[in-house]
Amino acid sequence: MIATQLHLMKNFHLAILLPLLLQLPSAAQESPFFVTYTHHMEEPGNLDLEFSTTNGLPRSGQRAYVAPYLELEYGVTARWTSELYLEGQSTSGDSAVFTGWRWENRYKLLGREHWINPVLYLEYEDLNEASRIQKEIEGGGPDLTSPNALLSPTRDHELESKLILSSDYHDWNISENFILAKNFSQSEGIEFGYAFGVSRPLGTLASGRDCHFCRENFSLGAEVYGGLGSTLDFGLHDTAHYFAPVLSWAVSDNSTLRLSPGVGLTHETNPVLIRLGYTYEIQDFTQRVAKLFGRRP
Amino acid sequence: MKLIGWGLFAALLATPAFAQNPRYQPDPEWRAPAEAQARENPLAARPELAAGGRKLFIRNCVECHGRDGAGMEKKHSADLQLSLVQQQSDGTLFWKITNGNAKCGMPSFSKLPELQRWQIVLYIRTLKP
Repeated sequence: MIATQLHLMKNFHLAILLPLLLQLPSAAQESPFFVTYTHHMEEPGNLDLEFSTTNGLPRSGQRAYVAPYLELEYGVTARWTSELYLEGQSTSGDSAVFTGWRWENRYKLLGREHWINPVLYLEYEDLNEASRIQKEIEGGGPDLTSPNALLSPTRDHELESKLILSSDYHDWNISENFILAKNFSQSEGIEFGYAFGVSRPLGTLASGRDCHFCRENFSLGAEVYGGLGSTLDFGLHDTAHYFAPVLSWAVSDNSTLRLSPGVGLTHETNPVLIRLGYTYEIQDFTQRVAKLFGRRP
Repeated sequence: MKLIGWGLFAALLATPAFAQNPRYQPDPEWRAPAEAQARENPLAARPELAAGGRKLFIRNCVECHGRDGAGMEKKHSADLQLSLVQQQSDGTLFWKITNGNAKCGMPSFSKLPELQRWQIVLYIRTLKP
């Protein structure tokens, strides 16, 4: 089972790492977090293509899995970012399934930078119960023990909102996310969750030369996230919580690699959750599309 | 032949003008508070760091302001070579890079470390014609 898991991870990670070999030196600035959102929005007109995986190593009674997802993040305006996710999941000794899609929108409430910068987040999810990417954890967390055949026929139509509070203080970013989610397909009440993150770039001055491994190209941090039950059963009882160090490496002007080896803090989690992500930014996407269709930009 | 030569010369001069924004008008409401205007660049005594600022400028600003900082008419972005930009204090430019101006499509670059934003200010000063 472990061998199958390693094979799955090797193939997927190879697909992510291959484009890196084609990159030129230099750097882009991306948040290193996988779960926690900051107030930094996508630049207007730019499109980020993100390929990520959430890999769960099993505890007894669980199976190892790889949950890949594709994220398209577009800067609609300087204060509004919209994202579409497509996600799947492959469980060792079980099957591979498409688990659904999500569409999220983030709106920065204040035009200027403040001590605390609030952002409103609204997401619609059309997923099935086999979803394992765990972009956030609400309620008790996902079912990590049942087989895909049992989980995937159950569809969830969910509306999720977040209040994102984020501060930049002496090059540290400190962000807090408070989550409310309502699943319209099942009577689960309103579910709650949280995510907190702290990060900092390793180098605060940019060197004059192009370099792959300069300190300025790396950001380090940590995030904590988990579920807080629901209106039917509020609290920490039977909920999943993770602590995860995060590292991002700006590989080139427009691409970033991120890694996060998370540790499950409760019995409802995977003992280890490894996340890997690769982001490629297409600058001026709107203008490029306009040119493609012959419109004078 | 001479006429063709002058024509080519004129075309060469005209080419960059398409990418510039000579009609740039600053947003009168986009004003840094007095305290921010008065801030001095902590890197002012280290002009060699403008090279890093150039790298950051190419990465983050060229898309809208152009490689020479002359702005783009289609994006309503500022011509950073203009005296009305160069006359602004270091603190004002830093504040504008930090906060952006969402109304005009200028994003906030507060995601960059503070010193890197000051490096960009150093580089903008080198764009003075």
